[in-house]
Amino acid sequence: MTASTPADAVAAALDPAVVRDPGSYRDPGGFVYRRNGVLYRQIGPASIEEWNGFVASGLAERLIAAGRLVGHETIDISEAATPAAQAVIRPDPIEFISYPYEWTFGELKDAALLTLDVQLEALKAGWALKDASAYNVQFRDARPVMIDSLSFEPYVEGEPWVAYRQFCEHFLAPLALVARRDVRLTHLLRADPDGIPLDLAAELLPWRTRLNLGLLSHIHLHARAQRRYAANEDEGQAAKRARLDRTRLTALLTNLRGTVKGMDWSPGGTEWSDYAENTSYGDRATADKLRLTGQFVDAVPGPRAWDLGANTGRYSRVAADAGKRVLAFDIDPAAAERNYRQIRTEGRGDILPLILDVANPSPGIGWAGEERRSLLDRADPDVILALALVHHLAISRNVPLSMLLALFADMAPYAIVEFVPKEDPMVRRLLATRRDIFDQYTLDGFRAAAGERFEILREQPIEESPRVLFLLRRR
Amino acid sequence: MTDLLLAYIDPGSGSLIIQVVIATIVAIPIFFRTQIARVIHAVRGDKETEPTADDRVDAS
Repeated sequence: MTASTPADAVAAALDPAVVRDPGSYRDPGGFVYRRNGVLYRQIGPASIEEWNGFVASGLAERLIAAGRLVGHETIDISEAATPAAQAVIRPDPIEFISYPYEWTFGELKDAALLTLDVQLEALKAGWALKDASAYNVQFRDARPVMIDSLSFEPYVEGEPWVAYRQFCEHFLAPLALVARRDVRLTHLLRADPDGIPLDLAAELLPWRTRLNLGLLSHIHLHARAQRRYAANEDEGQAAKRARLDRTRLTALLTNLRGTVKGMDWSPGGTEWSDYAENTSYGDRATADKLRLTGQFVDAVPGPRAWDLGANTGRYSRVAADAGKRVLAFDIDPAAAERNYRQIRTEGRGDILPLILDVANPSPGIGWAGEERRSLLDRADPDVILALALVHHLAISRNVPLSMLLALFADMAPYAIVEFVPKEDPMVRRLLATRRDIFDQYTLDGFRAAAGERFEILREQPIEESPRVLFLLRRR
Repeated sequence: MTDLLLAYIDPGSGSLIIQVVIATIVAIPIFFRTQIARVIHAVRGDKETEPTADDRVDAS
């Protein structure tokens, strides 16, 4: 039984106010859609019984109260997208939808632990997670929260965990690859929306990971078992008769949790992680830049700021202290990870570090290239901060200034941009090993490029430095 | 096991079988710990208590 009949699909297609979420099609129990921009979740006939049971069980309430599951409001059925709807809820909004390939190691690990903790808590209450997709976790106030209220089904004593494989592919494999091989391997998540195939993970992991009981079991032997039973119908039938009592299932989940907990990665040794501490300019310049940034941020309306090239988040904090909700993007996973750890230590929820290469932002992936949206499609900041960033893109990546500023203008109505001229020691370093082909890379060149799309509201030299800070408003 | 047939994601035959094997192995120490605790409690004449999932989580 499915939630949508062909007639429903027609009805939904005919209602211009309803836009079905392109990433919500896998579970026949229901789907997410927007009506006039507001996000709703419709529960269909296949899942209504489970849903009512889940709400009545008290588990939903406990998970929501603990901040582990996103809250919701029950809405009148007349708001449904299709006539097949049995119930409609309006989930509490999440400010920004981010994806696992944009998370730091610590964020992915926290999302994994949340998933297992929710599964363990559900199990105690007689429920189980029917999926364990990393895309079902989002960050709210810099903490992970599960967003799929329909992921719960009654636990049937004796049944193994259907989402075990998905958990290993979405969480354990990338965590192990970062912890034991290379942080850049999280890029594999961007290549495949279904996670990292375990045979690939097993092949990429160093041989010695077989000495770790958790990785040996959940990745290496798991991959081998998958290969052995693949496309073998008889053994597939045998698998469906596999039994696992609650005690052993709890032991498995506890072991999985211990394995995840044991995955560690220290953010050092990559390009920029100690950059903020090793800037090429002095204390006076830093103080002035902090002061000016604060002034400029104060002058900008709207709550959402995107700090591009945020490093460990020094200027993100300036924006956050001025009342903005900040996404702190950096290309360097180590810098973003340090920022995340610092934020968790401080207990603040107004900054979320994410990994981004501005010259290669996340594309749309999955079905029709729309299931997981591109970063630029999700971009809705009121202001962009681009401090100590432009020279890296313009010189190291050869991006012309006019293209750079056009991208900023496409993303936000305001931009705070620092121009670092060629006489700055940092730029001299970038140019040291290559021919200077950047005739346009001058203060006048920057003004001209900015002027194409922006009005220059403020232009302020930074004390004791050749750098200039601009406040720009889109025309 | 009809419920598994309703799962909307593919649990994978190999994944189901290996998880039973792994679960059985990792449950052995827990089983013995429980038995030993039971014996100790019996000797002392304490009231029997089962470790909760939380205890096991914290112990990991």
